[in-house]
Amino acid sequence: MNNTTSISADKITSDLLPKPFGRPGKIWTSVLIVLCLIGGIAYFRQLQQGLVVTGMRDYASWGIYISNFVFFVAISLVGSLISAIFRLTNVGWSTPLTRIAEIIAVSAILFASLIIIVDMGRPERLFNLMLHGRLQSPIVWDVIVITTYLVLSLLFLYIPMLPDLPILIKKSKLGSGLNKMYSFLGSFWKGTQAQYKLSNKAVLIITIIIIPVALAIHTVTSWLFATTYRPGWDSTNFGAYFVSGAFLVGAGGVVVAMYVFRKAYKLEAYITERHFDRMGKILVMLALLYLYFNINEYLVPAFKMKKAEEHHLMGLFSGEFSMIFWSAILIGMVIPVIVLLFPKGRKPRTMFVMGLFVVVGAWFKRFLIVTPTLLSPFLPMYDVPENYMHYWPTWEEWSITVGSLAGALLIITLFARYFPIIPIHETIEESANNKIEQL
Amino acid sequence: MKQSAYFTIIIVVFLLSTVGRLHAQDENLQAPIRIALAYYQTDEALPLIKVTASTKKNKKFVPVPGAEVNLFINEETVEGFMGRVTTHDQGSASMTLPSKFKTRWDSLISFKFIGTVTGNKQFEDQAAEIELTKARITLSLTEEDSIRTIKASLHTYTDSGLVSVPETDLLLVVSRLLSDIGAGEEEFYTTDENGEVSIPFVYKFPGDGAGNILIGAKVEDHELYGNLKATQKIPWGSPMKADHSFAKRSLWATRDKTPIWLLIFPNLLIIGVWGTIIYLINLVLKIRKLGKTSDISNN
Repeated sequence: MNNTTSISADKITSDLLPKPFGRPGKIWTSVLIVLCLIGGIAYFRQLQQGLVVTGMRDYASWGIYISNFVFFVAISLVGSLISAIFRLTNVGWSTPLTRIAEIIAVSAILFASLIIIVDMGRPERLFNLMLHGRLQSPIVWDVIVITTYLVLSLLFLYIPMLPDLPILIKKSKLGSGLNKMYSFLGSFWKGTQAQYKLSNKAVLIITIIIIPVALAIHTVTSWLFATTYRPGWDSTNFGAYFVSGAFLVGAGGVVVAMYVFRKAYKLEAYITERHFDRMGKILVMLALLYLYFNINEYLVPAFKMKKAEEHHLMGLFSGEFSMIFWSAILIGMVIPVIVLLFPKGRKPRTMFVMGLFVVVGAWFKRFLIVTPTLLSPFLPMYDVPENYMHYWPTWEEWSITVGSLAGALLIITLFARYFPIIPIHETIEESANNKIEQL
Repeated sequence: MKQSAYFTIIIVVFLLSTVGRLHAQDENLQAPIRIALAYYQTDEALPLIKVTASTKKNKKFVPVPGAEVNLFINEETVEGFMGRVTTHDQGSASMTLPSKFKTRWDSLISFKFIGTVTGNKQFEDQAAEIELTKARITLSLTEEDSIRTIKASLHTYTDSGLVSVPETDLLLVVSRLLSDIGAGEEEFYTTDENGEVSIPFVYKFPGDGAGNILIGAKVEDHELYGNLKATQKIPWGSPMKADHSFAKRSLWATRDKTPIWLLIFPNLLIIGVWGTIIYLINLVLKIRKLGKTSDISNN
């Protein structure tokens, strides 16, 4: 439910139609493009010289690329939370958030696929995975489930957008490139009853099927770690732990995007304080849930403190990684919970800051899941160069990682430039229904 | 002018002579090389001569790879020339006595092998030799009342026939793929007045498919007899069953041996989900078709 009942259909259309970038939009997009280009140059260097340009060595063979991959997979889960779960449970107020959630999911999962290729020393050998992949390998399961989720997310973005496309065709300049693109995508949508029936059926099917697929993508990603016998990864809890963390970072990402789009496109009438308030409560619940799984993941092994686990756990609690560990726990979970428990904390600006906290905390949390374990092998590290015992990413790794994050943001930005970030037709329909209900 | 010309000639002559001396010194800068020969004889086979070449560098002996060593039996003549070997990276090389010498070698009781390095640009000429007396080990493996016994005897050849060799250390071993394992509790056993040693064999080693293992007795680095070894195959080991589990369907096998359950369930899921995706795409195509049909009917 939103406060659009008093707004006319024409006003809604003009408010929600994509608008050209203003000065801040142009600067923002340019910065993202520059970051992507720097990432591209760094990747070119990596292709030329090999993975030796990274800080990864024999022990820390997974660094920030894989952390970033897990982060992207996690944030993509938001598509199923906001769009599917809320839709199935008739959460009416989620309408303005569904498309934001879906485009975050699509861009994140797209860059998750790309970053995993970046992590390969010989990317051209990806083809061998298709030719010689073994179904026994969780990596093959991950490739299958990521591809499936990407296709489903694209369909989930596209099908509910069909009723908006004729509006975009009508409002765009006839014969322009944009007009042609909109026409290609949706000129066939006439809004007939038969078309609505089919599209509603399609949306319902995706809504149902995307939930297990979304859970599978993150569970399988957790199995990439949990199916190996290593301190910190050897856990039966990993699937649920990953899924709960993914829901949290996804919701945090949506909160940040809500605030930015609300500000940039002046959508205060559509993304209201009530939306922030409700998303704030959801964030508290998800942060507490993730905190619960974290306690399980760290407290139980720490209580037993098996010799092999000791180096890993002490590295996190009071050693090399303690600063990042406690910051991620505090910034990514504890502080948001405390702040968002109070109604004042659920105001848009505070929510934006807490959303950023959650997202940044979540990124570093993924790093903590991936790398410290690799630096705590069961067999002690003997007779290896000093730099093999630690991991610090090189500028190439940082550039590629930042470039990939910028790339995902660029997709979201460009999508919002050319497509309505809040569903126009659905909002008009909802407004009309509300009016009828009020009468 | 005349004086300076003489002076120039003297300098040129001096320089040329100096260069010439230096060149001559270069030629004489050949390093000393050390050659060592070792003699190995197993069962009734022709003996094998192992050559090791080393040189001193920084007060340490280091192996010399690529050194050509001429090998001779008994005399450094064309008749005694066995052949030439080239040392490998670890500085050693070996040669089995060529079969053309078999008759001659069979008739010998004492013999010597000579190794020479000649005409090498890097190293000085060098020669080494080993003198040996022919000996043989006889191995006897018996089993009585489930007691297995290894008995070995050492004899040397003399003009009056075979004579037993007492007070000599023999090693009793089980030959494995890469090295030998002791067949008894001691590292070696000393022959008695009859030149014999005897021990009970109590161990169970993995054997081949029929349980065969190779038991041996050997003399190592003896100054008179060199390295001798006698071996005998006997089914005193436990038959080995080859592990073919890699060829079975398992999580660690190749892709064509994926476990059936792992083929069925994930593929059912994949077919189910992708079937639904295809159905969804079909719905979109139907929506598209409906739109186009409506266009035509409106026109």
